[in-house]
This record gives sequence, structure tokens and C-alpha cells, in this order.
Amino acid sequence: MIVSIIYLVLIVVSVLLTVQSAHVLYLMLYTWDRADAERRARAPEEFLPPQISFSVLLPARHEEDVIQSTIERVVRANYPAELLEVFVICSQDDDGTIKKAEEKIDDLKRKGLRNVRVVVFDDKPINKPHGLNTALPHTANQVVTIFDAEDDIHPEIFNLVNTVMVQEKVRVVQAGVQLMNYESNWYSTLNVLEYFFWFKSRLHYHAHFGSIPLGGNTVFFARELLLRLGGWDDRNLTEDADMGLRISAMGERVRVVYDDRYVTKEETPPTLGHFIRQRTRWSQGFMQTLKKGTWKKMPTRKQRWLAFYVLVFPRGQALLGIYLPISLGMILILKVPVLIALCSYLPVLLLAAHFLVQAVGLYEFTGAHGLEASPKAIARMAIAWFPFQMVLAYAALRAMRREMLGRHDWEKTQHVGAHRATTEEAESRVG
Amino acid sequence: MSDNPTPPRPAAVGAEGRKAAASKSAAPGKKTTANKNAAPGKNAAPGKSTTTPKSTEAARNTEAAKSTATSKSTTPGKKTAPGKKTTANKSTAPVRKTTANKNAATSKKTTASKNTATAKSTAPTKGTEAPARRPRRRPRFSVERGWFPPLGAKGRVALVVSLLTGLLTHGYHLFRYPLYLTDEGIYMQRAWSLVRETSLSPYTYDYDHAPLGWITLAGWVFPLPKQFETFGNAINTGRFLMLLVHVAAVYLLFEIARRLSGSVLAATVTSFLFNVSPIAVYFQRQVLLDNLMMLWLLLSLFMLLRREVTIRSVFGGGMALGIALITKENAIFFVPSFMYLLYRRVKGSASSRFTSTLWPFAAAAPIGAYVTYALLKNELLPSGFDFDLNNPPADHVSLLYTLWWQLNRNQGTLFSHTGLLQTSWLVRDKYLLIAGVCAMVMCLWIGMRDRRRNLGFLIAGMLALGYAFYLVRGSVVLDFYVTPLIPMLALNLGMVTDRLLKGTFANRFMRGAHSVTRVAVPSFVAILLLASPASGYLVHTNTEGHTQIADQYQSKINLTGMQHAQIAWVRKHVPPNSRIIMDDDLWGELHDVRPFYPYAHSHWNASSDPDVRDKLFKKKWQYVDYIIMSNKMRRSMMLNNGDGRENWILQALRNSTRVWSETRGNIKLEIYRVQ
Repeated sequence: MIVSIIYLVLIVVSVLLTVQSAHVLYLMLYTWDRADAERRARAPEEFLPPQISFSVLLPARHEEDVIQSTIERVVRANYPAELLEVFVICSQDDDGTIKKAEEKIDDLKRKGLRNVRVVVFDDKPINKPHGLNTALPHTANQVVTIFDAEDDIHPEIFNLVNTVMVQEKVRVVQAGVQLMNYESNWYSTLNVLEYFFWFKSRLHYHAHFGSIPLGGNTVFFARELLLRLGGWDDRNLTEDADMGLRISAMGERVRVVYDDRYVTKEETPPTLGHFIRQRTRWSQGFMQTLKKGTWKKMPTRKQRWLAFYVLVFPRGQALLGIYLPISLGMILILKVPVLIALCSYLPVLLLAAHFLVQAVGLYEFTGAHGLEASPKAIARMAIAWFPFQMVLAYAALRAMRREMLGRHDWEKTQHVGAHRATTEEAESRVG
Repeated sequence: MSDNPTPPRPAAVGAEGRKAAASKSAAPGKKTTANKNAAPGKNAAPGKSTTTPKSTEAARNTEAAKSTATSKSTTPGKKTAPGKKTTANKSTAPVRKTTANKNAATSKKTTASKNTATAKSTAPTKGTEAPARRPRRRPRFSVERGWFPPLGAKGRVALVVSLLTGLLTHGYHLFRYPLYLTDEGIYMQRAWSLVRETSLSPYTYDYDHAPLGWITLAGWVFPLPKQFETFGNAINTGRFLMLLVHVAAVYLLFEIARRLSGSVLAATVTSFLFNVSPIAVYFQRQVLLDNLMMLWLLLSLFMLLRREVTIRSVFGGGMALGIALITKENAIFFVPSFMYLLYRRVKGSASSRFTSTLWPFAAAAPIGAYVTYALLKNELLPSGFDFDLNNPPADHVSLLYTLWWQLNRNQGTLFSHTGLLQTSWLVRDKYLLIAGVCAMVMCLWIGMRDRRRNLGFLIAGMLALGYAFYLVRGSVVLDFYVTPLIPMLALNLGMVTDRLLKGTFANRFMRGAHSVTRVAVPSFVAILLLASPASGYLVHTNTEGHTQIADQYQSKINLTGMQHAQIAWVRKHVPPNSRIIMDDDLWGELHDVRPFYPYAHSHWNASSDPDVRDKLFKKKWQYVDYIIMSNKMRRSMMLNNGDGRENWILQALRNSTRVWSETRGNIKLEIYRVQ
């Protein structure tokens, strides 16, 4: 009796896992699979003259090393200075960053650029959404956008968004974000590819069906829309995804642009610890957002289901982490009948398909950014594959534990600027 | 194959243009004329590429195409797609429309002149001289780019007629002709074992064939109300599935022929031969793995001939190919043609990296399942890696050993006087075989001469050639191995017919005459084939020299009725606990209909399966009670007796008396009681 229940569970879970990962695979390939999706994802080839004014929010915490160059990159973007204003957002205790930012502002003032300010907040909680909410009333321009302190933004990004917003009359634009340092450490290749598939393909699917968890930066909102929504949820660990779902629930169309040429470049977390903490925060944020129930307010069932599907994924991942070793053990110990064992061949097959797609994706990614993928990178990816999945499952489990314990504080990711070295190297290689 | 099937990096230029054009032609609600006009402009537009900067004109051109396409699809789509309805709220919709219009307008300003110029130059008098019709330009057609002409009203009629013909030729008389054959019995007996015993074979499964064919049969039988007896007996029930398979295959083959040639005529001729040729009727009515395999194979080919090569269709096509391969392994000889077609179709597309890796992966997946099955049963490798062909492993069967053994069988006698070609295949339909091979050569020649334009011919020729190579390479060939060749030869004949009857004439009268000829000549040949007794398509000359309806449709002949009579006698006179030696075609009757005859086994198993041979019969003729015999079985017993394995059965035959017999033509059925 117990044995047959175990068999049943094995079969059902195997089939469910297969269906789920086949679906994920489809989402990963969505843009490539549909010619029109690929075309729509691209940036316009010609830019309209600048028309929209932007307020750039730069939340920064302990970013002394990179904040100056980030400010520099934003103000030096190819867009009229009178249509740009920049707010560096810091909490009061972060003297180092404030000091560096003010140094830079003075420097710019000497050169005649007066559109950068520092906004300091002294109340709790000290996190990104709270900082954003503090700065929002100071903004005056039509469109509010967020960049993280470590972002390498493309000089044409404002022209791009200006064109898209004017041409297509959209009020929310998510432009591509891409991790670049795929050769830094053992998990970076897979992490880079996650971003690649997420922004290049999957987000377009979500945007198409009107149920999209937005990214944390390079995202552009009409200011009045943010004001109407009352800003960000400062108790949420993934305020960006939450914001995306709230916007979707309003029925607002979100335009996603992933054009390899104009992505915002970022770096993978420098150490495994940081990576796990970042991933834990995301997973926990998704769990919070799920509990909050914005997704239930979406107009159609398809939208609700899609939002639920995204938000519940970390839980699924946690369960998968537990299930995989158990099922393996079952198959080995119980000597299950051949047919049932064959059923568990299905998820393995899908895993192989995932790996294959990621390997091909690495070539797509490097090809698009003028880099070169080596068989060595593929081999490293193959070795890192299973540990990486286990790390993700561990982070999901960790998030679940934190959520149960009621710990909702931010575990910040550190930035060292590894992607900048990579990109410069890459550019020099292309040149 | 000289062409490397792994595609190079996208050379974006041709690719994008092609994709845009394909999607354009796929846009709903457009008239063909509009399409035609749009195509050259599109074609001229250089593609986008991520690295190289693009000319602005091209940019605007594609931009405009995009916005018009979207506006077109969103406005009517509003009612149907609920998701869209809500997201694209009222305020945005009209605005979009205006931008689209604006875009279209600007694009017209910049590129319209060019477009109209090209249109004018190609079809100059369309507008001005309406009454004097120019020679009608054939619709743009390219296999590589997926530009297939629409099916059209004539095409639909031809398709329906082909389907009905297939239903008629294969369905009429299905259960009476041909005689139930050993292999049909074996596959049904294995399906029986799956349904009743959850096992791949009632005997030891020794990986002689991959099992998906009879798994399919079992899947078909299982939900039927009376299962194996739904259509009388097990083989009939299997044959009914073959009829459905055939009709589906006709649809696929029709579309494949049409897409490879761009012509309804080619598709019609192909389907006609596939439906009516006596050799096709003979083998396709039988419960054969080849028929099931062929369906999957055609499906796989069809998936590669979709208008747009999406990752999903390529993945599906690969999967279908893998399924074909584990239905019957000889599908492997079609794989090179498939690889080449895939290569040509995905070359340069944005998703070519994904398609060209996922297709082989999808094809390998079902094979992986089969290998995993053997691995899980610990039957993949022979014990001790012993691949000695003279000394088969005794303790357990092995997939790889069987495969190795099959690869090393060399007893080909195809071309000798007694070979199958002379005794069976040419007798059944020499016209299809001889003309088909000629057509194959022509297709290959046409295809090789201009690989770029005549891709369809090249593919058709390669498909037939690949399989023909398998038949003539000198290994064991059984009667029904010819089955997969039939649709391929029909395809080649169809395509060559269309090519030979092609022509463009400026003169109006000549044009009319030509279009009549294109219908009249094939119709005449078809009527000739149907009316001539020499062909055996519809009528034939019987042994007494009279012309009569051919066997496959002859209502007076009931070949399987003889087998029913044989079984009826057994049921009446033979006790169920008798130890019987017979042929596999009776297996279902004796094991699935009460009273069961559990000790009735075929001479194949009685002479080779240790369980049956050594435990039940103990290899002694005295342990046999009855032998249910046919002249066909007698012949195969002789052939199978190279090492004397059937000796004890033959001895039993010598020590027996005939208790029942029936003869008709060259068929003789008997029952012997052993003393």
C-alpha cells in the first residue's frame, strides 16, 4: 500500500516536473520561437528628437567605490542636460557615499552641470524602496527611472526610451539588464544566462500577456503613474516585481526592450555568500508578494495564473531541492519497476534540454556582445550545473525559513565593479 | 552527404528579410495580389543585424511593416483575445492606429517609389491594360523560405478526393485481403501481451525491434469496447488502425508533395499512386511497423515544411523522427535527407542555433528512452561485453548484441531470380517501381543541377535514394521491407510529372491548351492504369485468362475466410489443452478468444525460445499434439532450419495425419494431428 502510494507520487511529481520545465523552456525560447516577438523586442533603429524629461533615481548604500563613475555616466548620457535630473539617494548613516557623491556634484558644478542632487533620508526602514519613495516627491520631470549604483548604462538609453514612449504611447518601459562577467567564477556563467534568457525572452512573454514582474533598474515610469500608485511598497523585498504586478493589475501596458546593443550592464554577486543572500531576498520577496495578493486583483484568469506561477516558483524550487535527492534515493533503494523508473526519465530529459539550451544561449549571448564562448566555458557550465541548481534550491529554502521566522530585513549585495573590467576588455577585443 | 548539416553563424542579411517576408505572407486577411506586390520590396530590404549598423531606409521599411502588422492584428484581435482586450485599453488603441498610419505613410514616402517601381517593372500592364491578360505569373515559391502557394479551391478538392480514394482503396475489402501474415500476428500478439500481461512480449523480448509500434497498437486496442475482437479478430482490429494511419498519411504526403513542388498536380499524382498502386494496397493494409513508422516520418517531414520554421515545430519534427526510429529502425535511412532539409531551412535564421541543436536532441530523446529501458533491465550490454556472433550470450538478451547481430547479417538475394524483386515486388506493381526509380534519378538530377531553386526535388530524390540504398545494400530483406519506399517513389513520380508538364506560354490559346494538357495527360495515364489488366490496379487477368476485378477488391475472393475456417475447425475438434504448433497469425485467435489455447505456439518460438522449446515441448516430436499449417509456414520452416532447429517439428509433421485442408490458388491451409 505504502509502496504503491510512493510510486504514484513518483509518477505524478515526475509528470508535473516535466510539464513545468517544458513550459519554462518554452518561455526561455519565446522570443526566438516567434519571429514577431523577436522583432518587437528590438529597439527602434532611428531615434526621435529628445522630448521627454527624465528624473533619474540612483539609490546607493555603501557604494563609495562606484558612485562617482555612475553619476558621471548618467549625466554624460547622450541626452540634453535640461531634460535630465539625477537624485542620489542615501540614508543618513552612509557618510562615505554621501561624501563621494557631493564631491562629484561639486566637480560637475564646476563644469556647469547642475542637475544632480543628493537626497538623504533618516527614517526606517533603510532599504531601496523606502529611499525611492523619499526621492519621488522631489522629482519634477515626466518620467522617473531607476538605476542601481553599479549599473553601466548605455549613453543612448534615454534617446531609446524617449523614442519608444513617444512612438508607442506607452507609460512604462523596461529596458534590458544584462550581467556581463560570465567568466568571473563558477556560477557566473549560469547567472549571466539567467539574466539573458529572462530579459531577452521571458519578460516579453509576460509583457505580452499583461502580467509582468519588473526588474529593479533601467525601468521607466510615467511620474503621474507612480504617484497614482503611491510609490513603492517599502516592506517588500522585491518592490520591483510587486510594482510590475500592480501596474499590470491596472491594465497598463508595459513595453519591454531588450536590444543587445543598449542593455544596462551589471555584474554577478562577487562571492557565493552574496549570491545566496541576493537570491534569498528575491525568493522571499516573491513569497511576500504572493502573500500580499496583488496578483489576485488582475483582470483575467490568464494574468492571475501567470503572476501566481512566477511568484510561487521559489517555493517550487525549494520543494524541488528536497524532492530530487529523495526521489533518487527511492529509485535506487526501492528498486522501482522499470515503467515507473522510465517515468522519472522524463524530467532528466528536460534537464538535459535545459542544459543544451543554456549552452546554446551562451553562444547567443557572447555572439551578441562581441565576446567569444569557449568549449571550456561550456565544460565549466556543465560541472557547475547541478551545484548551481542546489544553490538556488538552498536559497529558496533559506527564504522560506526567513519568511516563516518573520525576518524581512534587506541583505544587501556588494558590488566591486567586475563587469566594468569585463566590458572594457570586451570592447577592446571587438575593436 | 557533402553538405554539413550544422549551420554556420547567422549571416543576418538574408535571414531577416526572409523572416519578415514569411510573417508578412502569413498575415491573415491579405489578398494574394497584395502579397505579390509586397514581396519584392521586402525581399530587397536588407536585414537587421545586431552588430552591423543598418541603412535607414531598411529600418523604416521594416518598422513600417511592423507597425502595420501590429495594427492589423490588434484591431480584429480585440474581440477574440481576452488578454489583449484588457491590456490595450481604449485610450491607447486609437492612438496606436494613428501612429501606424503615420508610419505607413512615411514609409510610403521613402520607399514606396522604389516598391512601385519594381512592381511596375515586373508587371507593368496590370493596371492600364486590364482586358489583355498577361501570362499569369506563378506564385512565388521557395521550399527554403517556406513560400508555399496557398492550397486554393482546386487543391482542396484534390485533397478531399485523395483522402476519399485512400479510404476506399484501403478500406474496401480490408479484412479479406491479403491473407493474415506471420508478422501481423507477431505485432498483435505483442500488443496483446502489453494489454493483458503488461509486458512487451509473451515470450522473451530480445530487442529484435524497438517496441513503440506495438505499444501504439496496444494503445489503440485498449480503449476499444471489445478490445482485440472489436473488428472480429486481433489482426482485423490492427488493420483498422492501419486504415486510419493510411488516411492520415495521405493527408501528410499530399501536403508534403505540394510543399516540395509547389504544385497541386504533383500532390494529386503522388496521392493517387500511394492510394491505388496494388503494391501499396497490399502492404499498407497489413499490420506492419513500417506503416506506423511511415506516419511518424511523414509527420516529421511535414513539421520541417511548415511555413515558418519555429523552434516548436522543429522540436516536434525531431520528436516525431525519434518516435519513427523507435517504431522501426529503418527510418534511419531517411535521416540524412531530413538533416539536409533542416539545414537549408534554418540556415541564417535568428533561431538557427537553437533549432539545429534541439532537433537532434528531440530525435534522440525517444531513442534515449528505449536505451534507458534496456539499461534499467540490465539488458543493454551482453554479459562480459561478448559480441561474438557465433556464440550468442546465453544468460540474458541484449539490445546492443542484437543490433550488432542485425548489422552483420548478409544474406541478400534481392536481385537473383528467386529474389523478392522478381518474385514479389515487380509482380505486384512493376510500373510504380520502375518508373519510380527513373523518377528518383530525374529528381536527383534536377535537384543537383540547381540546389538552390530545386531543393524540393533534391529532397524527394534523396529520400527515395536513402531507402533504396538500404534495400540493395545486401543485407536481409523481407517482403514487406519495400513498404516505406512506396510513398517516396510516388512522391518522386508526382514531382517529375509536374515538372515534365510545366511550361509557360505567352499565347492565350497555348496557355489554355497547356492547362488542359496538365490535367488530361495524367488522367489518361491513370485511366490506362486502372483499365489495363496488365497493371493490376483495378482489374487483372486471372489464371484462366479472364479479365476480372483485381484481388484486392474482388468480392468473390475471401482469403482470410480460409483462415477463419481453419480456426473454426480447431475450435470444434481440438481440445484447449492441446500442445499446438502453428504460425503467429493465429496467435490472437487462440489466446484471446475463449476457450483459450495456452499451449499453442508458433514454430518460430517453438524452435528458438528456450521456455517453449525445452520446457513445453522438450524438443521432442512426441510432445506435439497438433500442427496448424500453411504452405507459407512450411516454406519458412525450411528456410529457418539452417542449423536444424526445426528438425523435431518437421519430424512431428512426418509422424502425423492430415485431418483438415483447404486449397485456393496457390494458398493451402492444413491441420495435422500428430500420432
